[in-house]
Amino acid sequence: MTVVPELTEHERAHEAAESRRGFLMALPAYLYLIVFFAIPLAIVFVYSFATRSRTGGTDLSGWNLDSYGRLGEDIVTRVVFRSFGLAMTTTIICLLLAYPFAYFVATRRPAVRGLLLVGVMIPFWTNFLVRNYAWRVLLSNDGPVSQFTEAVGLGETQILFTQVAVVIGLVYGFLPFMILPLYASLERIDPRLIEASRDLYASSWASFRKVVLPLSRPGAIAGSILVFVPSFGAYVTPAILGGDKKPLLGSYIVSQFLTARNWPFGASLSSVLIIVMLSATLVYFRAGGRNL
Amino acid sequence: MASAVELKGVTKRFGDVVAVDDVDLSIADGEFFALLGPSGCGKTTTLRMIAGLDLPSAGSLTIHGEEVGPLPPNKRPVNTVFQNYALFPHLSIEDNVAFGLKMQKVAKGEVGRRVAEAIELVQLGGMERRKPTQLSGGQQQRVALARALVNRPKVLLLDEPLAALDLKLRQGMQNELKALQREVGITFVFVTHDQEEALSMADRIGVMGDAKLLQVGRPEEIYEQPVSRFVADFIGRSNFLPGTVAAASTVTLANGASIPAPTADRAAGTVVDVSLRPERVRVEQRDAAPDDVARLDGVVRSATFLGNAMVYSLGFDWLELEARLENRPSQQRFSPGDEITVWWREDAIAVVDGGSG
Repeated sequence: MTVVPELTEHERAHEAAESRRGFLMALPAYLYLIVFFAIPLAIVFVYSFATRSRTGGTDLSGWNLDSYGRLGEDIVTRVVFRSFGLAMTTTIICLLLAYPFAYFVATRRPAVRGLLLVGVMIPFWTNFLVRNYAWRVLLSNDGPVSQFTEAVGLGETQILFTQVAVVIGLVYGFLPFMILPLYASLERIDPRLIEASRDLYASSWASFRKVVLPLSRPGAIAGSILVFVPSFGAYVTPAILGGDKKPLLGSYIVSQFLTARNWPFGASLSSVLIIVMLSATLVYFRAGGRNL
Repeated sequence: MASAVELKGVTKRFGDVVAVDDVDLSIADGEFFALLGPSGCGKTTTLRMIAGLDLPSAGSLTIHGEEVGPLPPNKRPVNTVFQNYALFPHLSIEDNVAFGLKMQKVAKGEVGRRVAEAIELVQLGGMERRKPTQLSGGQQQRVALARALVNRPKVLLLDEPLAALDLKLRQGMQNELKALQREVGITFVFVTHDQEEALSMADRIGVMGDAKLLQVGRPEEIYEQPVSRFVADFIGRSNFLPGTVAAASTVTLANGASIPAPTADRAAGTVVDVSLRPERVRVEQRDAAPDDVARLDGVVRSATFLGNAMVYSLGFDWLELEARLENRPSQQRFSPGDEITVWWREDAIAVVDGGSG
């Protein structure tokens, strides 16, 4: 056993000053997060136990689980499954598109890499809403896409206001969130590991499967979460490109707050969504983390 | 003896840069061969070409008589121990070692048996389930060795295998590597910039400089009879006494003195350097040197105590010499300012091509 010598007076004072300084530096960010994130979340959580008054207000006096009881209703499960399927589709398409691109970028010269990564981020310079409206123009019945398919003899396309349009919009919007973490993890792989595997009789395909793929898993997991989570609760893109025949989770929650004026039900939906996503993320990270 | 590895006119160009220039080399089966040279001399590129990680731009490369020049690494009967080991961080020690066998689709039972054997060979029993990051540098080195040797390659390539280890461990591993090579009987080709490592481990050494293979020979040959000033200077330290060949076996030094020297077949008038190792320089008090040998009169400029030896810088009116005298009780010590005479045995010197460099 090692003997830990007692700290002297001035060592203690120094450490106290250090931790005080750290706390003070973090304070603005903490305050901001508490006021605009933690407190609103707490309010949502509290409201989910309240009752809708007959006039559409929220009655906080009688706490109950009624809103949670409604989560099993048919309409809710349909909305949840539809949203889940759409988010899964979006995530998988993003993964398939982003992986080869990220691999390509990660294996370029550093100067070229920088250029390509800036290219990935250029769309962020334009407002998300504006870009979604741009897709509305592109996909509309007399838009460029439709004109093209007509010109080559495939007939008029009717993509806008379908789930296909929503997936196109979501993939477009969230693809960079998949590319960046994938790139980061691929770029970190020591090229000598690939050489070592080739030296140990792996074909280039086997080398990819046994070395590159497992080592890029953290990036694929992080990217999938970054795409899946916002896709699952997406509101803007489905609202603009999807029409309102088949509501998704995001718009369904919004309609509870704004149209149906049932805040407790909207709040309970939101709470469950948050808790499910949070636990799924944790489980996913744990599962991935074990093999890192 | 059959050649394990044979290079004929092997050249590697990267764009305009010639990394390896027309190298001819034959490495015998079962040999422990060192490629030695300063960084950027082309030794690693040569090793990578044998491994198949770089392909030669010209020339022929055979392994046990089979041309392998254009073959990818996975089609060659060689394995590499990489610098910094390149162990797969996501795999356990066991799976790292098994990697090559699994890729070759060796039957499961045999994989298990051979992996266990290899891990035993490098004395890492009990570590099978650990990840590489949980091991020390020396242990990682052993895993890298086991991972390569388990495949029973015809040739094992080692790229600066000891460079990442600290001094003590490095010396221990030198002996272990040598013993291991004798035990498995596989041809080892290793690359190093550390001349001591090469001298102490290798059966033969190939010295490279500036993309060319300059000299190949046993450690003693390279040390005693370097073919060029570069080789003499790179392997150990040496003094160079400028001169010209006067006649066969005689060199006239720049101060006018004629000395007997092994001039080989150099013509009279050739500018040469006489290479004289510091530990071969004999230092005596002025006029105490024997009469029948080459000798020079000079002054002690400085004396440095190294524990096991004294190193003197000796001044002459036309050059300076370094002399290293072992620290023995019987050995006379000198102080700066002492007037001395140096001499050397005729077989203590080598003649190398002179001029710059």
